[in-house]
Amino acid sequence: METLLDVRGLKTYFFTEAGVVKAVDGVDFQVGRDEAVGLVGESGSGKTVLGLSVFRIVPQPGKIVSGTITYEGEDLLEKSEEEMRKIRGRKIAMTFQDPTTSLDPLYTVGDQLAEVIREHQKGISKNEAMEKATQLLEMVRISEPSLRVRAYPHELSGGMKQRIAIARALASGPSLLFADEPTTNLDVTVQAQVLELIKELRESQKISLVMITHDMGIVAEMTQRVQVLYAGMVAEVAETHSLFKKPQHPYTEALLQAVPRIDQRKDLRVIPGNIPDLVNPPTGCRFNPRCPYAKDVCSEKAPPLELTDEGHLAACHFWRSLSLTGA
Amino acid sequence: MKKDKSKNATATPENVDERRAAGQWAVAWRRFKRNKAGLAGLFIVLFFFFIGFTSRWLAPYPPRSYQTLYEGEAGQPPSLKHPFGTSKSGLDVYSEVLHGSLGDLYVGVGATAIAVLIGLVIGAIAGYSRGGLGDALLMLSQIFYTIPLLPIILLASRVFLILVAQGFGLTLILLLLGIFGWSGIAFIVRGEILRVRELDYIQASRALGASQARIIFRHVVPNILTPVIVTATLLIAGNILTEVVISFLGFGDANTSTWGLTIQEGYTYIRTEWWTTIFPGLATLFAVLGFNLLGDGLSDALNPRLRD
Repeated sequence: METLLDVRGLKTYFFTEAGVVKAVDGVDFQVGRDEAVGLVGESGSGKTVLGLSVFRIVPQPGKIVSGTITYEGEDLLEKSEEEMRKIRGRKIAMTFQDPTTSLDPLYTVGDQLAEVIREHQKGISKNEAMEKATQLLEMVRISEPSLRVRAYPHELSGGMKQRIAIARALASGPSLLFADEPTTNLDVTVQAQVLELIKELRESQKISLVMITHDMGIVAEMTQRVQVLYAGMVAEVAETHSLFKKPQHPYTEALLQAVPRIDQRKDLRVIPGNIPDLVNPPTGCRFNPRCPYAKDVCSEKAPPLELTDEGHLAACHFWRSLSLTGA
Repeated sequence: MKKDKSKNATATPENVDERRAAGQWAVAWRRFKRNKAGLAGLFIVLFFFFIGFTSRWLAPYPPRSYQTLYEGEAGQPPSLKHPFGTSKSGLDVYSEVLHGSLGDLYVGVGATAIAVLIGLVIGAIAGYSRGGLGDALLMLSQIFYTIPLLPIILLASRVFLILVAQGFGLTLILLLLGIFGWSGIAFIVRGEILRVRELDYIQASRALGASQARIIFRHVVPNILTPVIVTATLLIAGNILTEVVISFLGFGDANTSTWGLTIQEGYTYIRTEWWTTIFPGLATLFAVLGFNLLGDGLSDALNPRLRD
């Protein structure tokens, strides 16, 4: 498979008054053409920051410290801000998690879609852009698109707003979409509709997808491959079915166990403790203070990311000896 | 109950569509119209603007004219010829109140405009730049916030009097009020920018290729304007009141009609000649009340959390 996005050794740090927060600390990440990759981890694991780094829109005081980000063979970190602006929206696009704030309350849906369209197609008239905006609404299954195009965000439901946010992200025909927790703040029924929509659009628009989420159910439903992040580092990378069947990292196992199951009568397992302080992360393996299998070596030496199976990488000293439970 | 029914009856499909097309400002205006106090404030404010701008034609006497003294009509109570009476020194109080509207609105609105301008710029930079510059500007705002306005202006007036051997002009009061009165606006702008800049739609426009200028002028600034408008309206009331106090204390412009100046002329004789003090006092009261009601009304109308 042709590699579309190739991130190598990415380090994105936040230089705060409390110290340097190593939000992304040496992460490799690849997305192939037409592939759907899940980026999984708890809040604070660095999955969103990784996404923002690819767009080079990491908010202050964050900074990309080192690494390379290659998109279609071009190094994005070498681009000027002006060149980057032409890539954002046209080649890579992103949707954000909160549908209540993802649209500007002051402008109509049509205005906001037209803004993105006109940004990337200079010379297109306002009317043409509005026409295209209406088509986009139709594409994301908004009923009565010619009426809704004149609506303001406060007149729409959360699910509609999220679909419009997706339409806006796809307005200039990008080939890679980062969807940052697109369903976190939606009702369950609406969640299913939005996921279904993303799936369809992926087929019809030939879009590669990075699904940023902490929901293992969505990962199973939507992706072919998964990358599990923990405290700014890669814990495990695998094909989705392989990861669910045979996780090789205790953190992945814990994530899978933390999914409520209706078919098994047992208490829900939670992961003890919290995501570590990223200013002074634990030595050795960053998961060791919370890991039920941790031994002395875990706090002494950071485990390398090792090939454990075909297309399956894990960063655990004991991946050979542990037999972890899948889902 | 009846009223509600008639409202429901007008919600035909056509004007439902009209509502759908209504923008933020139309929505705000609909809310504002329902607020009786705010509407009253708007009318009072418009009324004062009207008499301020037309005072030169409406007023029977020119500003600061003691002509009634020569007509032998000084110190008279309200009558048909002098609706608000005349002062002992010969001012026609009605004319002075009309002319005073222009002077006090000039100071109130002008000083607020300057404060808003400075506050917007300083607050915006303080909100945008994290680190040294932002901190320094925040501290500067806090310093200005602690400066008591009135003593500073009274002091400046004395110094000015000694240096130039002449009292304050209204424009100077306006400038001082503006230059020392921007900190409240700056705090609000800074806070709002800190709030808005992290919102998803700002991140989203950035992620979809919008330029920095477009983000600031199309998405950030319009979204922080409503609290600024509300605060500015209330600030106008405060500035008018401060101007009246300055003039009353005799530190203002002695050659231009203002309400404070007329109050000062009359207040020593308030027991026998109440009209010289009462009418400009009432004008001040209503103007300040009007701007405050308008500000409250705008605040209710523009607050998205209260929006139905």
